[in-house]
Amino acid sequence: MTTIPSTIWQTLSQRAPDKKLPRGLDAAWDAAAGYVGRIVPRRRIFLRQAQRVVDMEKTYSELTDGKLAHAISDVRGVFRRGRETPDDLLAAFAMVREVATRKLGMRPFLVQVAGALALYHGCVVEMATGEGKTLTATMPATVAGWRGQGCHVITVNDYLAARDAETMGAVYHFAGLSVAAITQEDKPPERRAAYHADITYCTNKEVTADFLRDRLTLGRLKGLPSALLAKIAEGAGSGTDRLVQRGLHYAIVDEADSIMVDESVTPLIISGDAPNKEQVAAFQQAVDIAAQLELNTHFKTNPRYREVDLTSAGKDRLEELADPLGGIWRGARRREELVVQALTARYFYQLEKQYVIQEEKVVIVDEFTGRLMPDREWRDGLHQAVQAKEKLEVQPPKDTYARISFQRFFRGYKRLSGMTGTAVEATREFWQIFHLPVVVIPTNRPCIRTHAPDRVFATEAAKWTAIIEEIRRMHQAGRPVLVGTRSVRASEQLSQLLAAENIEHQVLNAVRHKEEAQIVAGAGQPARVTVATNMAGRGTDIKLGRGVAEAGGLHVIATERHEAGRVDRQLFGRAGRQGDPGSAISIVCLEDELMLRHAPHLSASLRKRYGKTDREVSTRLVRSLFNASQRKAERLALRQRKGVLRTDDWLDEYLGFAGSES
Amino acid sequence: MPVDRPTFSESWYRVAELRPRLISTVQIHRQHFRGRTWHVVADPASNQFFRLNEAAYRFVAMLDGRRTVAEVWKICNDQLGDDAPTQPEAIQLLGQLYTSNLLTAELPPDAEGLFNRYHKRITREIQSYLMNVMFLRIPLIDPDHFLDRWIGVVGWLFSWFGGLLWIGLMLAAGFFLIGRFSQLTDQFEQTFEQAKLMSNLPAMYGAMIFIKVLHEFGHAFACKKFGRQTGTGGEVHAMGVMFLIFTPLPYVDASSSWAFRSKWHRMVVGMGGMYVELAVAAIAAIVWAHTAQDTLIRSLSYYMIFIAGVSTVLFNANPLLRYDGYYILSDALEMPNLWQRSRQYVYYLVKRYAWGVRRPFNPANSGGERIWLTIYGIASTIYRFVICLGILYFIADRLFLLGAVLACVAIVVWVFVPIGKFLHYLFTSGELMRVRGRAMATTLVTIGAIFFGLGFINAADHCRAEGVIEPIDMQFVHAQADGFISRQAADFVESGRIVRAGQRLLVSSNPDLEAMRKQLLADRDRYEAERRQALDQGVPSLARVNEEHLAAVAHNLSLVDDRLAKLKPAAPLAGEWICPQIEQLYGAYVQEGQRLGLVADPTRLMIRAIVTQNDAWMIEHVDREVEFRILGRPDLHKIGQSFKGRIESILPAGQSQLPSAALGYAAGGEIPISPSDREGRKTTERVFEVHIIPAPDTPVRLLSGQRVVVRFTTPPKPLATQWWRAAMQMVQKRFRV
Repeated sequence: MTTIPSTIWQTLSQRAPDKKLPRGLDAAWDAAAGYVGRIVPRRRIFLRQAQRVVDMEKTYSELTDGKLAHAISDVRGVFRRGRETPDDLLAAFAMVREVATRKLGMRPFLVQVAGALALYHGCVVEMATGEGKTLTATMPATVAGWRGQGCHVITVNDYLAARDAETMGAVYHFAGLSVAAITQEDKPPERRAAYHADITYCTNKEVTADFLRDRLTLGRLKGLPSALLAKIAEGAGSGTDRLVQRGLHYAIVDEADSIMVDESVTPLIISGDAPNKEQVAAFQQAVDIAAQLELNTHFKTNPRYREVDLTSAGKDRLEELADPLGGIWRGARRREELVVQALTARYFYQLEKQYVIQEEKVVIVDEFTGRLMPDREWRDGLHQAVQAKEKLEVQPPKDTYARISFQRFFRGYKRLSGMTGTAVEATREFWQIFHLPVVVIPTNRPCIRTHAPDRVFATEAAKWTAIIEEIRRMHQAGRPVLVGTRSVRASEQLSQLLAAENIEHQVLNAVRHKEEAQIVAGAGQPARVTVATNMAGRGTDIKLGRGVAEAGGLHVIATERHEAGRVDRQLFGRAGRQGDPGSAISIVCLEDELMLRHAPHLSASLRKRYGKTDREVSTRLVRSLFNASQRKAERLALRQRKGVLRTDDWLDEYLGFAGSES
Repeated sequence: MPVDRPTFSESWYRVAELRPRLISTVQIHRQHFRGRTWHVVADPASNQFFRLNEAAYRFVAMLDGRRTVAEVWKICNDQLGDDAPTQPEAIQLLGQLYTSNLLTAELPPDAEGLFNRYHKRITREIQSYLMNVMFLRIPLIDPDHFLDRWIGVVGWLFSWFGGLLWIGLMLAAGFFLIGRFSQLTDQFEQTFEQAKLMSNLPAMYGAMIFIKVLHEFGHAFACKKFGRQTGTGGEVHAMGVMFLIFTPLPYVDASSSWAFRSKWHRMVVGMGGMYVELAVAAIAAIVWAHTAQDTLIRSLSYYMIFIAGVSTVLFNANPLLRYDGYYILSDALEMPNLWQRSRQYVYYLVKRYAWGVRRPFNPANSGGERIWLTIYGIASTIYRFVICLGILYFIADRLFLLGAVLACVAIVVWVFVPIGKFLHYLFTSGELMRVRGRAMATTLVTIGAIFFGLGFINAADHCRAEGVIEPIDMQFVHAQADGFISRQAADFVESGRIVRAGQRLLVSSNPDLEAMRKQLLADRDRYEAERRQALDQGVPSLARVNEEHLAAVAHNLSLVDDRLAKLKPAAPLAGEWICPQIEQLYGAYVQEGQRLGLVADPTRLMIRAIVTQNDAWMIEHVDREVEFRILGRPDLHKIGQSFKGRIESILPAGQSQLPSAALGYAAGGEIPISPSDREGRKTTERVFEVHIIPAPDTPVRLLSGQRVVVRFTTPPKPLATQWWRAAMQMVQKRFRV
């Protein structure tokens, strides 16, 4: 008699997410439902319920630990059996709140309880930075844990996962739940144990990679019957014993906008080496040949889409140049592809902007977040082309074994919710792709941050001068300044300018990420100047130093408008946290990338008009141009992400014989 | 993608290690289209077809269930170089084969996927049914077994011998029909006479079903015959009813002929229907020619000739509709899927040249195809548009309530759905991502230009009315005295002769008058004699008395002579003597005042045109120069030619009497007349009469009484206004609202 643990049963019996993106009229209907759904006063409902939870405080604060534990184990059983009533939920939240107070010394505020309720009901919760999202997540996570199917709390990095699991562990243990964190170094048995804990803290990468590895382990045994048959036939040797996960049931995603929107189309790939000497040489040859082609005669570049097009003269020239090489260069298609990649690498991929070099390797810098992405590679030979361009050893492209994008992965969860500092801008996307409504939870104390209108300059030089000026002003006033830059290169550039002006400062970017948390934590000290790429240090609060609040709090300067308004807001949100004073301003110019890419004609004509003046050119019209281009960029990005999902759907349908991907 | 056909795909890993193969029932047939080799993958069990080009075929053919996809792809690349399918192409190819249920992998069959695809297919079919309400198809029976049994008996029809026989049959039928052409047209008029049409319809419909069933069996047997001959199967599994604009007609699905290797075989299958249909019609023609009039057999055979002729010309042989002619043309040109591809090609042209889309999908494989695709694409689009309008008009016209509903459905399906799809495409298509601004601008400009052109630019406006030609100067000739008309031809001027003013037209006699004259002459002679005698005798008083008598007699005589002269009526003016029934006057007695005929001046004619209330608006603004054409005499006009005229006067008040019954409904004119009026000249509503003088240099001789249609030029108006008015008038006229 073979016995099979129910967790394996759960993993296997889970159907592939069959939620295809709706199309045509269905899509219009769905989008309309999303708009109508916004009318529901969710915030008010949750706040009202939260008030009831807070009102129950007395009931539990008077209980002894033992009595409380007893009450908890009662309600836990109710949830385990799935027989809970709405009142049970509120009671459960009130108990967890009490536990948090006793074990952590932190009593969740009303707004945190409201956020927890929203999470429980499958929403994306927008809570400002510093409002205690980690604590908020404990309430729905506990309830989900009680159900006995496991709950994933997903964060952006290992450090946060480990930290949160540890700090919140006491609450969970008291509630009778086991908790574990998964970090990159964990081996499969540890991972399996962690996934079998009631609450698992992990990063999006780890959970997705484990999911893919499980799929690979199962191989062809994707269906429940075939896996069970294999299990019976082969006994312990079958793949089912090597699975680490136990199905995707509940997930609470921290920094949901970053994971589910910005990074959502980034596929997570499990790959292996595929040595190919001939190809490696070809990439180097491509760089040499590309060097012999001339811009506009042999090829044209398109900065907006970062593309290179060979002209027919270029194709002829290429044929001539490639003629003696033979091999892979004989076919027109392959050779053009190689050279186009080499040219793309040359013109559109710049050191310290799109990538950095670490330990003789090209490491991608995420343009959105400014973070390093050491385990990512560009596709279609672009990565190799960049390596060849930098005269590094060309690593052959790897063979993909399994691949899934985060958006597809998260759509696989039965119940999903998320929290983040900025979600409103992505309301449409959260609804259309994940069917998650967005709820904005007010801050515990009113936000008194002041936001000055954008200052626009015609040229980049004028912009930097103005930024230095602004920094100096604030610096002299004794206020700490946080300057957000878009790329590593810009942060380095600003650092040099500041050094030239003898302004003491800290630089925080992907290349110097080791000191990240430390620098961010210290960024609130008086007269401290911190230059950081936009998303650096996310998840760490900037606490104000002594006397800073009186001086006006932290001042945030954005040196470029980002392609997503959310990211800007995230940066501004660094100032004025938890009711502290603070201020924010954007200082931008018409030569910014946002302008060049999304309003090329208008910004060009404005540049022409204002010439090379150093004057400030901020008029209402120019400011609105920035806002419009930002919205345009957001729309474009959403459409692209939906397109990726559609392509995936299409592939799934057409490649049914290859088995479903997820 | 900066490269036309990127070599690698990030999804490749999903198929790379699989070992799929085509399912075992698949048959592959090699075909040639425009000098290229294609391979048709056919699954006779499911009637699925898939056309592969050479490179794709090489790829698919190597998938034998033992090699992996990655291995096959590598071999293909080594052998074919740039022509080999790229990874994305290979994935797409495998996916399409799989979704057509032509591919299996070594995996256990994905039953759920199979069912999903089945449901999807059914949904799609239902959708396409709804989209094609005017051409609904319902399969009823599987005739394959029947065909198998009978093909041996009738197969010879589709051989050289059968073809020769067919030509002979056609010649014979042609021989009989040409000789009886006038009977043929007569019968047409009889059949479609308003009163009898309804009673003729059932028999006509029966004849149509009969001939169409044979037509479909023509396709089916041809398909079977060549399928057997070449060993490609030729299964025919579906036969049923097609509702062509709600008229049930039979249809057959002979699509297995697409797998035939020879295009001639495919074309013969396409022609099989018409071949049989015309043969039946030819037999019917021979029967028709040899049966007595007004028998059932004669009318039935007439219907068959008529139906076969009309449906062949209008539908089957017409390649612009997707019936037999289309498939024949498509095979003859060696361009499969001509219709879809021609539309795609037109889209391609727009995308490429109007919108500047980079690398749009080009469905043309060669230069020659481009021309055909362009021509066919444009022609079929226009034709489709016209046909749609025609069908809409037809149903709206015939079935008012139901028609209105159907017209709404059709408008939604044919107008709103495509517009909606187009807008959706315009706003969301990834293809247009970069050129959306330009695409929208060009579209807006085009639509704007059309709207502006239709709504604001004045175009010449016209309005038509019928009229009759009449002479301006004419006088009736009446008998001025009672009398018998002479029987001698010499005494008559024939009708139609030109006469001088005062010329004698005919002679009549009145014996009483002549007797009276004789008496008077005798009296005169007597009185004269008596007068002389009295003078001679010297009795002047007596002579005076006689003189008075003489004077009285002379007076009477002149009176009688006058009356006698009136018996020979003369032309009151120079012109044409018109007396159509002159033969009936020979020897007849006419009373004074009776009309004999008329003399009209043929050189001075006018048109009396009748304008109905509908067009009365134009009377005030009409241009005085008009054009007209003579009705029913196309021989008098060179192509596009019409004659000129000038408005002489417009009778101010409306009237309700037509100048000629020829203008009324009863006599084939356009003007509704009151049914109570036996003469057919009284109109139901008041009409306006316009007098037009034809230009003196009109190149043909106009005849009095001819019916003409006059084209008035009214002040130019935008086309939209004109069309709106026309539509409203049509609605008014048809629905009396």
